[in-house]
Amino acid sequence: MTARLLQSLGVVFVLGLVAASFGALLVLRDRVRIVVQQDQVPAGPDATALLRDDVLVLTRRTDELQAASAANFERLGNALEQRAEARHEDVLALRAQVDRLRAQLDEQRSAVDALDRRLQQAPAPNDAAVQATDPVAAPPPPAVAEPAPAPVADAKSAAKGTGFLSFTLPSTAFHFDAPQDYTLVPALCRVGFDAKSTLHDFTGATSNVAGHFRADFDDPDGAWTGEVTAEAGKLVTGVDGRDSSMWEYLDAKDHPQIRFEIVRFRPAAGGVDVERQTARGDIVGRMTIHGQTRELTMPVHIEVDPQKRVVVTGQAPLKLSDYGVPVPSQLGVINMQDEVVVWVALRARVQAETRK
Amino acid sequence: MSSPRACARWLAWLAAAAGTAGCIGSSVVATEDRLVVPRLEDLQFTPAAGLQLSGLYESIEVRGDAAVSLRKVYYLFGPDGSYTAAALTEADGVPSFQTLNGTWRSDEAGLSLDGGAPVLLEQAPEHLRITAPNGVLVLRRGSLQ
Repeated sequence: MTARLLQSLGVVFVLGLVAASFGALLVLRDRVRIVVQQDQVPAGPDATALLRDDVLVLTRRTDELQAASAANFERLGNALEQRAEARHEDVLALRAQVDRLRAQLDEQRSAVDALDRRLQQAPAPNDAAVQATDPVAAPPPPAVAEPAPAPVADAKSAAKGTGFLSFTLPSTAFHFDAPQDYTLVPALCRVGFDAKSTLHDFTGATSNVAGHFRADFDDPDGAWTGEVTAEAGKLVTGVDGRDSSMWEYLDAKDHPQIRFEIVRFRPAAGGVDVERQTARGDIVGRMTIHGQTRELTMPVHIEVDPQKRVVVTGQAPLKLSDYGVPVPSQLGVINMQDEVVVWVALRARVQAETRK
Repeated sequence: MSSPRACARWLAWLAAAAGTAGCIGSSVVATEDRLVVPRLEDLQFTPAAGLQLSGLYESIEVRGDAAVSLRKVYYLFGPDGSYTAAALTEADGVPSFQTLNGTWRSDEAGLSLDGGAPVLLEQAPEHLRITAPNGVLVLRRGSLQ
């Protein structure tokens, strides 16, 4: 009974509360305003703006980085290209060096082979020291033959070295059958003439010779160029009085030079032997004596001596009167013939060229 | 016009000239003697294996392919196995000196420069001859002034 009473009281109390609430709502309905207020945030910069700034900064930095990277990449690319070009040039230089070394090696092999051949063919070479003879001197005594040198197997192995007896030579190439420049060696040259006179025949000669020429001894067209000059006032016959008369006749004061200009070489048929390095033929040129120039053809013989000098010997007749030289005569009794034989005996050294 | 005396004088002169002509020999240089030939000294070279070198030597002849560009060589050998040398070479018309310092050894195998392969060494009084693969060098003893 009590429990039922308490339950009824509770229901009545709840209903009373609800009724009171509705009543209060009705009374205060116009006085109540619900405001949803934003949470208060601490004072400071706007996070969005900050974020935006950050984004902008990042964007700018990215752009800068991109620009810098592009420049760097470009620089890197250029550097790599330059390095590649340099490497390429290095490779080309190395290739050229290898080619040169191969050429030198071939040259040295050829030299060794040639030496072998020479040693086989010449069991007793005739070697001795060198001294030039005086002009118009008696022939030197024949050289005494020497025993053959020992086999040069040892020497052959030296071909692997860097050059000739530790020296590096700019060139050891001599080409008989290719155009080369030659320069006369005056101390080993002599030009002159043989004359006939009533009393006796005589020779006038001089070693005061200079000249140069360019020649390919195997050129069938003989396209040679060059010249040989001699001092007229240095011609000597061995008799002082005759020499001074000769210089007067040649008018050596006004025409101090006798000059032969080489126009071309006309090889004789079968006259060129490249292997033996000899040649025969005619040198055609212009001879100037006493200021008068005439064409002159001189048959010559050409060979190469062991010192790799070219030896040119030859002679040709000419008439003094053709060159306006008075023919000497003493009292009309001692007469010299108008025709003399001019001759040359020349040694010329090839102008070595740097190995390419 | 000419008197007998003058004729006689001319005849005498001609006779004298003819006689003189007979006395004066021809001074024509023989064809084979026209060329200036390097005078060959009578040098007898003998093998010089093991020769102990000392002093100054200068080249008086270069033969073979080396002669194309080599003009002159000087060697100064020291008894201690050292040497100094100079070579005058010419290329493209320009002469230039090369100098070397190194070591030499001479034994049964020949002359070895700077430890290189030995080459044939021969000697004659006051002279040396060195035969290398691409040339022969004849040296004469010199003196330092």
